[in-house]
Amino acid sequence: MSGMKLSTDIAAASIVTIAAILALPNFLELFALINATVYVSMSVLALSLALVWGFGGILCFGQAAFFGLGGYSYAVAALNFGDTTYAVPVAIVVPALVAAALGYVMFYGRISDVYMGAITLTLTLILFNFVNSTAGDQWRIGAAPLGGFNGIPSTPPLNLPGDPGNPLPPQSIFTISVVSLLLCYIIAKLILRTRFGRVIVAIRENEHRAELLGYDARAYKLGIFVIGGAMAGLSGMLFANCVFVSPTMFSLFYSGQIIIWVMVGGLGTLAGPVVGAILLNLLTTWAGTLPDISPSLILGVILLLAVLILPRGVLPSLAVLFGHERGVT
Amino acid sequence: MTALLATEHLTIRFGGVVAVDDVTFSVATGELRCLIGPNGAGKSTLFKCLTGQIKPSVGRVLWRGRDITGLDSFKIARLGIGIKTQVPSLFDGLTVLESVRLALRRQARERDARAQAMATLERLGIVELAPRIVALLAHGQRQLVELAMVVAPEPELIILDEPTAGMSAEETSRAARVIRSLNDKHAIIVVEHDMQFIRAIAKTVTVLHQGRVLVEDDVMRVLADRRVQDVYLGKVDASLQVTT
Repeated sequence: MSGMKLSTDIAAASIVTIAAILALPNFLELFALINATVYVSMSVLALSLALVWGFGGILCFGQAAFFGLGGYSYAVAALNFGDTTYAVPVAIVVPALVAAALGYVMFYGRISDVYMGAITLTLTLILFNFVNSTAGDQWRIGAAPLGGFNGIPSTPPLNLPGDPGNPLPPQSIFTISVVSLLLCYIIAKLILRTRFGRVIVAIRENEHRAELLGYDARAYKLGIFVIGGAMAGLSGMLFANCVFVSPTMFSLFYSGQIIIWVMVGGLGTLAGPVVGAILLNLLTTWAGTLPDISPSLILGVILLLAVLILPRGVLPSLAVLFGHERGVT
Repeated sequence: MTALLATEHLTIRFGGVVAVDDVTFSVATGELRCLIGPNGAGKSTLFKCLTGQIKPSVGRVLWRGRDITGLDSFKIARLGIGIKTQVPSLFDGLTVLESVRLALRRQARERDARAQAMATLERLGIVELAPRIVALLAHGQRQLVELAMVVAPEPELIILDEPTAGMSAEETSRAARVIRSLNDKHAIIVVEHDMQFIRAIAKTVTVLHQGRVLVEDDVMRVLADRRVQDVYLGKVDASLQVTT
């Protein structure tokens, strides 16, 4: 990837971001704008798996776990602090720490890929069941009741830094979400340009060879896994700002969907999964309005079609169509 | 003088099977050593043990006198040991140039890595392959690309596992030339069973049979050795007779 391609990609992403910030809040009704914010938060989640799976080669079924942990950490911290300023870093650090602990056991324990999928999925399901069973007043962390199946409806929206009396309106939260997505995209791009990023891709291609060249694959995989966990935590925080946190964040539904977004958008690219997340979320929402047909069924058919017709994903296939053989990232 | 790489009473068991049995041998700086033996002699197991892929049941592996038994592959590589596997182990999705740069990136600065990578490709006569995607290369080219990755960081010792596997006669003779020229700068251990190839490159040969060292001697004397001929072919083969 040349430096010029990098700056072109970042410039293009920035233009889309600015256009979205300027246009959408004016066109969309409040409900639609909040929905759009949810999609953007999902895109950050898709981006996190794009890094971990598409570039790190780690098929993680547990990205929803870090997403949920981010959301819950944010809600619990914000309720306890009475201010969201420091809840934001908590929402990023907690999932990153959990990813570090889990990743350490998996990568340094030399657990094979299949088991890794099973372990990450299990973590998500354990958290789902655990959080579901936290109804009742005894389940609270400081001032924050965990609320069991109902979640924490009182999840506070972001306020201006250091000014808890001033919660931000949905328009500002939309802007923050879109800017966060752009920043995550740029960070991911830059990571892949570094030596660390190159080695990560090499390990995806052939871990054994990378080790024979002197690279400690375990450390690199742990690194990208933690970055992915932190990014998923951020997306959970953004999501919590649009809706509120509840155990569904840890559900099988999300764990599976994230993988579909990445596959349909284009595994091995960054922009693809973002586009995939937005397109499929729009589609799921639309399908939800149809009578007699389950949105999951439609999603399943789309996944099948995508795998059969566009095995490389929507964005890389479009790139080939328009003559950019090497695809997009 | 301390040997570059040595093993002491190395034994590797898998359950009741003894794959490598009390092997003690050493390789000196700048040496070219061939490790040969018929199928099942324990060559590949020994290779895997030297390169950190399996741990021995008994015995030690020494690098410049330092015990490196059971070190992980990546730590062994960092000592300055280049490792080439039997089936080329490559980064299929990357270009040849990027692959060789990765081999250098651990020690070279970003800017120098590219120039050094190109110099290595030049040295192996495959500079024209630089922009090609590795997955699209022919088998012989893949072998050379892997060799380029192994050689690029200038390791003190190169261990090659059956470098001519799947090569045509012409490619084999080219590989022999390449390996001899590499020996100018690097000590080399070649694990092989192709006798013709051994004759083309070897100086000193260690013969393994049923996990043990059968003979260790100059190549001509080894090829003339009755025991070696027996274990290799079960009978004497005229093509292996040394004419003096």
